[in-house]
Amino acid sequence: MLKDANILVIDDEAVIRDGCSRILTKEGCRVKGVENGEAGLDLITNKGESFDILLLDLMMPGISGMEVLDALYSIDQTLIVIVITGYATVESAVEAMKKGAYDFIAKPFTPDQLRIVVRRGVEKRVLQREAENLRKEREKSLKDIAYEKSRISTIINCMVDGVLVTDRDSQIVLHNPAATRLLEIENLPIINKSLCQCVKNEYLVKAVATTLSTERSKYLEISQEITPCEGSARVFLRADTAPVLNEDGEIMGSVTVLHDITQEKELNQMKSDFLTMVSHELRAPISAIQQQLSVIEGGMAGLITEKQGKMLIRAKERTKGLLDLINDLLNVSSIDSGIVVQHKESIVLKEIVERAYQLMEPEAEVRGIKMRLETSGPLPPVNADRENMEEVFTNLISNAIKYNVEGGGVVITLRSEGEFVRTDVTDTGIGIPEKDLPRIFDRFYRVKDSQTRTVIGTGLGLSIAKGIVEAHHGTINIKSEEGKGTTVTVLLPKASE
Amino acid sequence: MGKMPKILVVDDDPDLVESVKMMLENKNYEVITAYDGIEGLQKTKEESPDLIILDVMMPNKDGYSVCAELKADPNYNNIPIILLTAVVSHIPTTTYTQRMGMEIEADDYIDKPVEPSELVKRVDVLLRKE
Ligand SMILES: Nc1ncnc2c1ncn2[C@@H]1O[C@H](COP(=O)(O)OP(=O)(O)OP(=O)(O)O)[C@@H](O)[C@H]1O
Repeated sequence: MLKDANILVIDDEAVIRDGCSRILTKEGCRVKGVENGEAGLDLITNKGESFDILLLDLMMPGISGMEVLDALYSIDQTLIVIVITGYATVESAVEAMKKGAYDFIAKPFTPDQLRIVVRRGVEKRVLQREAENLRKEREKSLKDIAYEKSRISTIINCMVDGVLVTDRDSQIVLHNPAATRLLEIENLPIINKSLCQCVKNEYLVKAVATTLSTERSKYLEISQEITPCEGSARVFLRADTAPVLNEDGEIMGSVTVLHDITQEKELNQMKSDFLTMVSHELRAPISAIQQQLSVIEGGMAGLITEKQGKMLIRAKERTKGLLDLINDLLNVSSIDSGIVVQHKESIVLKEIVERAYQLMEPEAEVRGIKMRLETSGPLPPVNADRENMEEVFTNLISNAIKYNVEGGGVVITLRSEGEFVRTDVTDTGIGIPEKDLPRIFDRFYRVKDSQTRTVIGTGLGLSIAKGIVEAHHGTINIKSEEGKGTTVTVLLPKASE
Repeated sequence: MGKMPKILVVDDDPDLVESVKMMLENKNYEVITAYDGIEGLQKTKEESPDLIILDVMMPNKDGYSVCAELKADPNYNNIPIILLTAVVSHIPTTTYTQRMGMEIEADDYIDKPVEPSELVKRVDVLLRKE
């Protein structure tokens, strides 16, 4: 404890100085001695030396110990001074302690007494230092927090996207200029005002309320397209609302990020107009060709040979493939441009799957494949685009039939699983070789072997399905064993109440 | 044996009209043709067909309008109408008409390209209902 303590002894008696020095040096202290107050003050004030403990004689020629005390405390209040006094002058020791001296020791003293008194002083000094460090640290972290805060608000304020944070009661607690600009809020300030007072779009207000209201929304992010105020169609925003959680996972508030998509929408519109035009231009002649081929092949334009008939059938399959490709391309580009999930609504997935099932039933029958649809337990609705979902499940069921074997089976099951509604489409078909599985969701990827060669397809179906499911914050997975069959699993998040 | 039913085929694409005509004539139906909406309405009034096959996308009045007009006219609203649609195949026609913002009262829909057997089947069903 005493090790490395810096000690200054100010005493006119050399015996005391030497004695202190000898005793304390043995304990590992560094000890300096001076014979009067002036020399002591000189060391500290002018030479800038610092000491942990000062042993100070009160009765000295020249300036008195009391004066030294006054002078020292005016510079450094934390200095620990132990006063050395004679028996007769205990009162002055008391006075010195009133001034701030830490302790006193009476002459003559034994080495043990000195050691005890100095040790106490050093302990005090250590505590003092620790307290000082703690204080400094606190100051620093307060500064850090203030800095962090200003940094975050600088970042938020510079963002082009709007940020709007509310507390649990839908009161606005934080926002940036972009948010008020995008939402066309005029009556500033809006801090501490309730959201419905400031924001004119009721869908946004509703989304925040939903986010705050249910426990389940912890996992949900609500993404929607809105206009700043209802009816205005000049500006379009994408608003993503998510809950803000504390460490215990409780909902503390909500955060909404607003992104201006006006231009994107305009471009999308142009793109989709263009695509619609091109597709019509392509579809019309191909449809005509296909129809003409049908007429010839059907013998309605005169008799044809068996050979010609076979070729015509093949030609029809090719034109059919082209038409499917055009349809799929239209779908892919609409998914790419992100215009698909506009019509999200609460839908009952079972109805969609049933429709797709009925649509594909005749085809299964033709191929002699048994289909079954099973649901277990109650199924909450999902938040999804109806057409998209029809597209996904028609494709999955169609695949399960197309890549099946004579007399094979298809089972579709629907059930609730955690936060999701789970759909499995299982077939007992040809399966997918392991080497093809990693790329099966890639665009235009098709398994190429003797069994799939005769099946017409574009290799787009699964990539479209994946795009759609993921745009709905869901997942799609495929498990397959060659020669045994395939299961495609789709998880879609349940709609929040 | 009675007279074979008369069917009006309306489409702006002559090749399509021709092939549909052959499909129907092959089944001994009498087929008359028109190449746009206005001509289609005119032929309907002149010839009183027993069934009309109407393309949706046409110049001079599209198929929807022709259909709506005929269905609103008590003289003609009992003639069955089949609309030829060129919609992305998987998406059901209902969503298409919903998108167009109107209720279409066609008696049936067939996606283009038309399969002969499918067309004949649907035509037979509608004419038998008479
Ligand atoms: N249930 C299944 N069983 C076996 N193979 C499958 C199954 N589903 C998909 N595949 C394989 O994955 C490939 C990609 O499927 P995808 O649905 O993307 O395209 P496609 O069926 O070729 O064409 P389309 O776009 O017309 O559906 C298929 O070519 C097929 O080889």
